[in-house]
Amino acid sequence: MSALAATQTFAKQNASAPASKLISPQALMAIKNLELRARIVVEGFWHGIHRSPYHGFSVEFTEYRQYSPGDDPRYLDWRLYARSDRYYIKKFEDETNLRCYLLVDHSRSMDYGSLGWTKSQYANTLAATLAYFLHQQGDAVGLLTFDEEIRDYLPARNRIGHLRRLMLQLEQATAGTATDLGAPLKRIVEIVRKRSLMVLISDFLAPIETLEKNLTTLTASGHEVMLFQVLDPAELTFNFDRAVMFRDVESGRDLFIDPATARKEYLHRLNTHNEAVRATCQRLGAGCRSFSTDRALELAMFDFLRERHQRRKSGNRFARSRK
Amino acid sequence: MSFLAPLFLLGGLAIALPVVFHLVRRSSREKLVFSSLMFLKPTPPRMTRRNRLEHIFLLLLRCLAICILALGFARPFLQKPMAATPTNTAGAQVVILVDTSASMKREGLWADAMDKAEAALKKATAADQVAILTFDDQVRSVVSFEQWVAMNLSERTVLAVQRLAESKPTWHSTHLGNALIAAAEVIEDAEKREQHTGPRRIVLITDMQEGSRLDGLQGHEWPRDLEVVVEPIKAKRPTNAGLQWVMDAEDSARAAADSPVRIRVNNSADAKREQFQIRLSGVTGGDSLDAYVPPGQSRIVPAPKLPTNAVAERITLSGDEDDFDNTAYVVQPKAEEINVLFLGSDAEGDSSQLLYYLKRAFQDTRRQAVRLVADEVTRRTPSPTNPPPHVGGYKLAIISSTLSEERGGEVRQYLTNGGTALLVMNDSLTAKTLGQLTGAPDVIATEATVANYAMFGQIDFTHPLFAPFSDPRFGDFTKIRFWKHRKLATDKLNGARVIASYDNNDPAILEVPFGRGRVFVFTFSWRPADSQLALSSKFVPLLYSLLDQAGGISAQLAQFRVGDTIDLSTLATKNGGSTLSVRKPDNSQVQLASGEARFTQTDQPGIYEVLAAVVPVKFAVNLDAAESKTAPMPVDELERLGLPMKSVEAAPALVAAKQETLHNAELEARQKLWRWLIVAALAVLLVETWLAGWITRRSAAPIEAAA
Repeated sequence: MSALAATQTFAKQNASAPASKLISPQALMAIKNLELRARIVVEGFWHGIHRSPYHGFSVEFTEYRQYSPGDDPRYLDWRLYARSDRYYIKKFEDETNLRCYLLVDHSRSMDYGSLGWTKSQYANTLAATLAYFLHQQGDAVGLLTFDEEIRDYLPARNRIGHLRRLMLQLEQATAGTATDLGAPLKRIVEIVRKRSLMVLISDFLAPIETLEKNLTTLTASGHEVMLFQVLDPAELTFNFDRAVMFRDVESGRDLFIDPATARKEYLHRLNTHNEAVRATCQRLGAGCRSFSTDRALELAMFDFLRERHQRRKSGNRFARSRK
Repeated sequence: MSFLAPLFLLGGLAIALPVVFHLVRRSSREKLVFSSLMFLKPTPPRMTRRNRLEHIFLLLLRCLAICILALGFARPFLQKPMAATPTNTAGAQVVILVDTSASMKREGLWADAMDKAEAALKKATAADQVAILTFDDQVRSVVSFEQWVAMNLSERTVLAVQRLAESKPTWHSTHLGNALIAAAEVIEDAEKREQHTGPRRIVLITDMQEGSRLDGLQGHEWPRDLEVVVEPIKAKRPTNAGLQWVMDAEDSARAAADSPVRIRVNNSADAKREQFQIRLSGVTGGDSLDAYVPPGQSRIVPAPKLPTNAVAERITLSGDEDDFDNTAYVVQPKAEEINVLFLGSDAEGDSSQLLYYLKRAFQDTRRQAVRLVADEVTRRTPSPTNPPPHVGGYKLAIISSTLSEERGGEVRQYLTNGGTALLVMNDSLTAKTLGQLTGAPDVIATEATVANYAMFGQIDFTHPLFAPFSDPRFGDFTKIRFWKHRKLATDKLNGARVIASYDNNDPAILEVPFGRGRVFVFTFSWRPADSQLALSSKFVPLLYSLLDQAGGISAQLAQFRVGDTIDLSTLATKNGGSTLSVRKPDNSQVQLASGEARFTQTDQPGIYEVLAAVVPVKFAVNLDAAESKTAPMPVDELERLGLPMKSVEAAPALVAAKQETLHNAELEARQKLWRWLIVAALAVLLVETWLAGWITRRSAAPIEAAA
């Protein structure tokens, strides 16, 4: 089944299904091991479409190729054999290697959480889930973690042990005092010459002008860019009830805030900022999805795959990249 | 429950403060970590209707603590009915003390005093006992308690006023302290006799002038429960200046005959004028003098000059508003002439001899003029035209050499008649003169052997000759050295008394009585070769003491104050013992009783004259200078000396209110409920402190967990 079909099936099945069928983030985050978390999410996602997750290749059939000894006979197109009396293998979109780089924000602002787990933990789980999924699809996944500078870098590979290393990198603690996209994006453009899928996971709580400039750098290099904005429900609703001193987790600055007075203004400015981010992404042709840390990660997988399909349908050149 | 200080209950309004504090302050110290403040602006804490009170229990504790403190400060007490005070049916004992001193002679004061006395008498109830005393420098009873009680009830006030009206202000000074003590003693004596239990008070009617003497009250223990009510008399015109005659000291140098009399002018502290004029009364052609004296001060000015040959006895001042103290009476004392005879062979100008120093020791003073006559008994050749001076006419005879039989006889007769002689033993031969004078021919003197020098070892300071030196400051004779002296055997001298002796116990100064007179013997001389006496500071006072012993210096009558007692014994002696009479300024005469030499009737200022004296003697009697200090002193001055003052009699309603206030204060002092309230407030504050800390710790824990 193609990824699109899988996504559609997943959506239909879960639209009418009760939310309890999805794994709750609370239960998921209780699992200490990141790789295990990622596997659970991916398996849960595939389980939802009653298909083996070990499909081997990802997504869409594109064309046939002649059978060579050693190919998986499951992909023989028997109808074509009946018609042509020759053995042909269905070639899927990702039969040629997809390179994906996960750019994960590890700054201190990601270290905030009101539900018992931080945005960083959620972002790491999201990144691990995507990495696991793509790795199983046979795609090459790389990782770059950053705060105000690049912390760790793993080139995109699909080798034995690479996923493990990737998970270990993701589990590194956050330490940065600020968020600066400029340096890591510039660096990734210098390192990655071949066009790849850049998945940027951050809260994007930075000035919009800086964000636009940094994203332009990325998109101008020909890469496909997807933004996953991770925010805590407390940031989205600002449902505090006591006037206290609010401390910025990155800068340490204190401000006395009365939530009853400040809530409206805060939400307006937050929404304005998020709209600006989405508008910037749209303008630059980058995908953008916003996640609250109380949202089931299977839905994040769903969003990821649908986003990719929509892009391909809109005629993204990347869908036809060759080795 | 009642409150001693209910105004403090308003402090309970302070509970609004914690209420406002709880609304405004919303745990601002709590910190909440947030991802980013880029969308937030600081908001000032404000109180809106949506704000709700937090920690209600904590707020209630704080309000409770404030309320308890306000209650405590308001001094609550449980009201109890006041015990009915037993009404005192005994009447009061009142002494009305009226000032009759000279300052009350001012215009209108005595009339006011009479009115106040009458008003005080009218306040007396039937049960009260009243006595009236008048005072100046003496206290006189006008109406005693017994006399008051003996009077008919309806006539008491009238009779008392009539008796008081017979009194008038005198010229005497004001001894207020003694008067108050006397009045207190009158009440205490009456109380002891009758066992009186009612209230006691003294009503003092006086002008409260500054010159009133209060020294009698210093250290005096005032009787308990004896109040003093002061009814001050205020003068209508405050400006008052007085003048006093300033006499020179008796031993000062005799002034020139035409030197002016000095006058002190003093101005009262509340005076409105400063310029006054001084003139001589009873003298035609005399000048007047202007004197400028600021209020509260005094100035000494010379009296105006007398015209030639004029004698003035009165100096008057004008320019103030009361003239009772505007006259000063002046009698210039004459210096008494005292004759001293020197019997010796000394030359006057020889500084190695006795006479040289004698001449210089006796100086003329205002009090006496000493005339020293030297008779050279050895060189002088007596003749009918130049007879030797008769000893009998001299106060003191000083003998320094041997005398002829005739001269010795004269001196002996002089001594028998009561004269005084001084024998200075220049050498041992003068012992013969001593024997000649005292009828002891066997008296022998030898030249003493002096190793280095001798000095006085023992002196009898009880003898009148050395009485002026009895003060330790003046009694040191050890600095006087004697290189030569005579050793005199005193066993032959009848009645001889050694007054001073040397350090080897030889007699130095003796007194030998003879007849009615006496001989003082110096076994030394004051020649510089013999001793240092003539050059010491003791020489002149020793000679004057000798002269005084000889009766040469008598007390002078000059200036006295009204009320003084004057000793006329010297004049009586001069009068040969006959009675004296004194003419007073009002021309009345007072005959002193036989043998009486003390005149006490100095009850008015003026010139008094002692009649029937050998030479009539005048003396002046003036007002006490303190009576011119008419500015009123504050009543607090009496309170400061320990008198319980009561200036206004309180109305019964006020008295009852005051008693109730005292009763309440007493109840509160016994119950002391404020202590328990303070303890309760402390307990509430302790609980509040603990609770506030617990809340703070509890608030901090979740935030740390969230971070």
